[in-house]
Amino acid sequence: MTATSMTATSTTAIGTLAARLRTVLGTDRVISDRQELRTYECDGLAQYRVVPALVVFPHTAAECAAVVKACAAAGVPFVARGSGTGLSGGALPHADGVLIVTAQMRRILELAPADERAVVEPGVINLQVTRAATPAGYYYAPDPSSQQICSIGGNVAENSGGAHCLKYGFTTNHVTGVEIVTPDGDLVRLGGRAPDAPGYDLLGAFVGSEGTLGIATEVTVRLVRLPETVRTLLAAFDTTDAAGAATSAIIGAGVVPAAIEMMDALAIEAAEAAVHCDYPAGAGAVLIVELDGPAADVEAQFVAVERLCRDNGAFEIRIAADDAERALFWKGRKSAFAAVGRISPDYIVQDGVIPRTALPDVLRRIGEIAAEHGVRIANVFHAGDGNLHPLVLFDDAADGQAARAEAASGAILDLCIEYGGSITGEHGVGVDKAKHMPRMFTADDLDTMQLVRCAFDPRGLSNPGKVFPTPRLCGEVPGRHKGAHPLQEAGVAEVF
Amino acid sequence: MPFEGVVMPFEGVVPATDDDAIAGVPARWVAAPASTDEAAAILRGAAAHDLTVVVRGAGTKQDWAAPPRRLDLILDTRRLAGVVEHAAGDLITVVRAGTPLSDLADALAPAGQQLALDAPLPGATVGGTVAVNTSGPRRMRYGTARDLLIGATVIRGDGVVARAGGKVVKNVAGYDLGKLLTGSYGTLGLITECVFRLHPLPAATAYVSRRATGVDDAGRMAAAVLGSQVVPSALEVDAAPDGGIVVTVGLEGVPEGVAARVTTARQLLGGDPTVSGTAPDGWSAYPWGPGDVGIKLTGALSRVPALLAAGVAARQRHGVPLAVRGSAGTGVLYAGLPGSCAPETVAGALDDLRAAATRAGGHAVVVCAPPAVRDRVDLWGPVDGLHLMRRVKEQFDPAGRFAPGRFVGGI
Amino acid sequence: MAAFDDDHPPRADLINDCVHCGFCLPTCPTYALWGEEMDSPRGRIHLMSQGLGGEPLSDSMVTHFDRCLGCLACVTACPSGVRYDTLIADTRQQVERRHPRPLRDRALRAAIFALFPYPRRLRLLRGPLRAYQASGLRRLVGRTGLARHAPTLAMMESLAPTLSRPVRLPERIPPRGPRRAVVGMLTGCVQSAFFPDVNAATARVLAAEGCEVLIPRTQGCCGALSVHAGRRSEARAFARALIDAFSGGDLGHRDLDHRDLDYLVVNAAGCGSSLKEYGELLADDPAYAERAAALSARVRDLSELLVELGPVAPRHPLPVTVAYHDACHLAHGQGVRAQPRALLRAIPDLELREIADPELCCGSAGVWNLLNPEPARQLGERKARDVLATGARLLVTANPGCLMQIAAAVRRLGSATGDSTTGRCSAAGDSSATGGVAIGLAHTAQVLDASIRGLPVDALG
Ligand SMILES: Cc1cc2nc3c(=O)[nH]c(=O)nc-3n(C[C@H](O)[C@H](O)[C@H](O)COP(=O)(O)OP(=O)(O)OC[C@H]3O[C@@H](n4cnc5c(N)ncnc54)[C@H](O)[C@@H]3O)c2cc1C
Ligand SMILES: Cc1cc2nc3c(=O)[nH]c(=O)nc-3n(C[C@H](O)[C@H](O)[C@H](O)COP(=O)(O)OP(=O)(O)OC[C@H]3O[C@@H](n4cnc5c(N)ncnc54)[C@H](O)[C@@H]3O)c2cc1C
Ligand code: SF4
Ligand code: SF4
Repeated sequence: MTATSMTATSTTAIGTLAARLRTVLGTDRVISDRQELRTYECDGLAQYRVVPALVVFPHTAAECAAVVKACAAAGVPFVARGSGTGLSGGALPHADGVLIVTAQMRRILELAPADERAVVEPGVINLQVTRAATPAGYYYAPDPSSQQICSIGGNVAENSGGAHCLKYGFTTNHVTGVEIVTPDGDLVRLGGRAPDAPGYDLLGAFVGSEGTLGIATEVTVRLVRLPETVRTLLAAFDTTDAAGAATSAIIGAGVVPAAIEMMDALAIEAAEAAVHCDYPAGAGAVLIVELDGPAADVEAQFVAVERLCRDNGAFEIRIAADDAERALFWKGRKSAFAAVGRISPDYIVQDGVIPRTALPDVLRRIGEIAAEHGVRIANVFHAGDGNLHPLVLFDDAADGQAARAEAASGAILDLCIEYGGSITGEHGVGVDKAKHMPRMFTADDLDTMQLVRCAFDPRGLSNPGKVFPTPRLCGEVPGRHKGAHPLQEAGVAEVF
Repeated sequence: MPFEGVVMPFEGVVPATDDDAIAGVPARWVAAPASTDEAAAILRGAAAHDLTVVVRGAGTKQDWAAPPRRLDLILDTRRLAGVVEHAAGDLITVVRAGTPLSDLADALAPAGQQLALDAPLPGATVGGTVAVNTSGPRRMRYGTARDLLIGATVIRGDGVVARAGGKVVKNVAGYDLGKLLTGSYGTLGLITECVFRLHPLPAATAYVSRRATGVDDAGRMAAAVLGSQVVPSALEVDAAPDGGIVVTVGLEGVPEGVAARVTTARQLLGGDPTVSGTAPDGWSAYPWGPGDVGIKLTGALSRVPALLAAGVAARQRHGVPLAVRGSAGTGVLYAGLPGSCAPETVAGALDDLRAAATRAGGHAVVVCAPPAVRDRVDLWGPVDGLHLMRRVKEQFDPAGRFAPGRFVGGI
Repeated sequence: MAAFDDDHPPRADLINDCVHCGFCLPTCPTYALWGEEMDSPRGRIHLMSQGLGGEPLSDSMVTHFDRCLGCLACVTACPSGVRYDTLIADTRQQVERRHPRPLRDRALRAAIFALFPYPRRLRLLRGPLRAYQASGLRRLVGRTGLARHAPTLAMMESLAPTLSRPVRLPERIPPRGPRRAVVGMLTGCVQSAFFPDVNAATARVLAAEGCEVLIPRTQGCCGALSVHAGRRSEARAFARALIDAFSGGDLGHRDLDHRDLDYLVVNAAGCGSSLKEYGELLADDPAYAERAAALSARVRDLSELLVELGPVAPRHPLPVTVAYHDACHLAHGQGVRAQPRALLRAIPDLELREIADPELCCGSAGVWNLLNPEPARQLGERKARDVLATGARLLVTANPGCLMQIAAAVRRLGSATGDSTTGRCSAAGDSSATGGVAIGLAHTAQVLDASIRGLPVDALG
């Protein structure tokens, strides 16, 4: 997919806007060179590409607000971008719009361990928060596999999760305040250092809104005390069924591990090729189970977990002796997505959720889908909370494979919906899954969600075209307005 | 027929009685639908007849906060009750909004599971608890309804039924409407069904308490516990009007772990703390009674001692028996004053507390008060993002049908 | 005109290996500096693919390629195994051949490449530099704000280490004790001109560990600087000459054939990584391909070889805290990270500390700091701050460029805190001070040498 070129009228509008933005940010921080713009044409999901009209780099919240105000005044859409690692095309630019990159807003403004809070700019990298807090004995719990590069602003927008979210929750449970630029260009604080700010929980609505409700310019996050003890084991099973049964047994026993991660044989092969993680040979599936917390609790539960793994058919169990070995266990898991590139020229990373108890059934069905479509599917997932990441492997150069992979990938989402799950557990809807939303939600459900959008962004300038398959016309009471809305006439929107 | 001769506006509605008055505002009609469909029909009827609606759960605390500006119809959720699904293996439950929390707890307990929400006031329904986002001591470990609600069915003022979230814990498809509804005080729509994530019931529980010599001592204890590895489920302070302050650490987990952490907690608190398997008096209860003034105080964790100190100072300065109790582990405290206090006095104490809360990065919100006090004071204090909230209300409830005037800024 | 011609353009298949995940971004020094996509590995790869797709080799595109330090941190970071090293090398030689540079730029590059790869010319420069340092002109330059007007000159000035006496090494050094290996030793251009002590220490350590060390006088530049700058034909000429130097002539009492060498030892990271790639560099030269590959296979970094051989010389205690800095071309280019650390840890009483963000380049990068003085200064100071934050007394690394770069940055930080006089720098025995915090600088070889010879810590600064 490539962007259509700009229309003549929008070109002049952009020219005027560019001049305006240069007075705000200086010439260096407004980019209009075609080749430079093109390096921003996609995020972590490279199959969607649109070249933005302008790219800008604000350094402060005030600059960010000024940029948005200028866009609003000119009626030009804008899209926020952090590190561009999103896997749903959330940061895909708008051809006639401005891409607002927060990568240069990367100061940690305050570390307040006594308040269990850190205040950061949106471009700060997830892992840096933990690195900064570690000397004081704290860390930032949400740990997406991309944590060494994804930005906190992007995490907030996507409500990112990670392996340890099973016990600790997602970004939304760890953000207590944001300062945002509304689509009108106003700076507003939602929440703060203390919990339960009076009024509607707009913070809760903002987290996970994928940049469609405005831009976060400052984020207050919770810091969590580093656990006293961390124990990690790697258990190898013959089949994913057995590993799934072990997972259920652990949860059923009332243990809440920090993480339970599963990889199937193909995913293990990829990880071995990339990082030589040396997982047990011949495993049809491995589980990584990590417990953390107070020493006595962890020791007692760790014994139970080990036994439950054995009871459910683990043929080899390795217990990490030190941080280095733990890191090696995780290395294979954390690099698995990108590592698949070593065993297949092309692949699609899928992200869906099912009830954990449906794991064995769903994995079997995924196997059938792979066979039907003639593609290989590797499975890497957060087994503890049923978040699947099937990796559909294909070769773009081979005839028809891409289409079959795409079809298989879509079939997996249908499967998730069939089992009462979700079409995305952490990567977001973005541009990629907007078309799947009507399969998970009714028109009324989507319309109701869009009421929030209408409250924040009635003109639909903030990251348009994402999340919702069809934009709602705001401020129109259905059936009452006369004549068609211009968007409707243009075939861009429907009225619910 | 009980209401012979009365012309009902539409089916499913009966006339209200004096007992149905909410915060002194009499209602005209009451409806108690038994299903989402029935409730939707009622709300469509209300829309057709332009009636304002107040949702009522257990109904015991409806005289709290601001009274509705206008009240035509009470929508009672008690018949919208029952556990729809409990998927123990997936640690989730689907439950109707009118179900009392205690009924839900009874249903989950046999599987060794719980909805980890404290019920500060007995009898509360699931819907009411979500609508007000109430919480108790264990929010330190489990969070509040906001964190545990993973899906909800809501009926808008125009009768449209919408679902948000889903039945899986991990889900980022679309906006998180559940959070928006949580704590919305019934002003955005009627919640008919909730999906929650559950937690295993702990195998062991212990409470370690010690009387502090003063605010500073209480602050020291709290800080010691927070900086330690005892991983409390609750860390409560209780400053009684008589000047006594008690700090309690609530511990949960496997027996071996709890035993070890009790030992550590005792050392951290110092002196000779009491250890008990049952919660101390006043645990998870507000420091006020019916008809009293209740204030919620929030602040950054390190400022909890400052909030306590402000409470003690206000007590002395205004000569009122002010009690403060709450979570030193999350920065959420509650202050209670007798309903008999003069409105002027309450206003003075509130000003002091609000100033302290603001300095602490939090808020002081009056959750309940007698009418005379309510009329005198600003219940909410400053609210960030109020104009966005008004716009949200306008979008969800353009006709202003749901509980007009009850919420922040007169929403 | 399309950006690339058919003579080794960046390969499309290698570009397609990039899945756009961005994992390489945080390790890229230019991304760390500017936070812009086109100055990140992912962005540069994107620009290469634009070039293949028909976009011209514009000034802006070239700028972004030029700004790449070639530190190869992105290669280490990439989970998909993207060969950025190959991609940028191919791209650079296209740029050098096809992109007309502005006159000033050309002159500067010509000057640098007329000087650096030639040890003799560098040595000639020593005289004037020494006079200049002694005259106190250095401080004057600093004060007059010359830096603002002539950044490159100022950068060169600031990098120049305090010079020590030149050392002339014999062509053959016998092993101490039984001979365990015959090793050739590369003396390097910058290393031999500015850090003769390092070469002397290297030779002594090798001999102490039972190596017969052969040091042909005819050896010149290995071509590393040229290859990293895209001057491929120049690099090939250097490579052929070096292969000849290690396979001919009369060294002391014996004729040298490259097959006689068990190893060719290198103590400069940049040289080591380019020698290891001679096989590829001369693959299409029938006269040299076989010898190049054979020589490459024998190349070892000093630390690599010492770990491979295992120690025989006893270590004496060296009670000092050491921060070890990974030279890019050692860590990323050759994957040598564990060996130097292991060698240092094996010294009794020596405490090893890690520097934050170890993967991040110090900004030296061959001659990059001369061509990009301002960003190099920022990177250097960032690294210097992280180094100082370890609280170590001694900074150890294995590349002359890094030593000069970090020393200069430490000196600047020192003058920033009001202490400009104590900063001085030679490879060993140096101690740059920053407002009371002093740190010495040494090459790994010097630390090992001191320990083996039982020298006091003071000998290292
Ligand atoms: C290899 C790999 C592994 C991954 N693993 C995980 C994982 O384990 N868990 C997980 O949840 N995700 C994962 N992701 C996805 C991705 O890293 C996350 O979605 C991340 O939060 C995106 O952050 P970013 O800074 O790259 O955001 P971008 O991709 O730049 O943007 C993502 C979205 O956020 C919006 N946005 C960015 N900044 C702001 C802001 N300041 N205010 C408002 N909106 C903003 C954008 O408009 C866009 O919609 C992975 C990605 C990769 C490539
Ligand atoms: C205005 C107000 C403020 C309060 N503030 C606090 C507080 O800050 N902290 C605290 O701990 N306790 C507070 N309480 C007490 C709290 O209401 C009770 O603890 C309990 O949660 C209420 O349960 P209930 O079933 O009795 O609900 P009710 O008292 O019947 O209703 C409580 C509120 O929730 C709404 N509501 C109830 N069910 C639904 C539903 N299904 N859908 C939509 N809305 C619904 C009602 O309209 C009402 O605004 C407050 C109560 C009220 C009325
Ligand atoms: S080689 Fe170094 S400077 Fe160049 S792109 Fe890679 S990380 Fe960046
Ligand atoms: S880490 Fe590798 S695959 Fe990922 S963007 Fe960088 S070069 Fe491409």
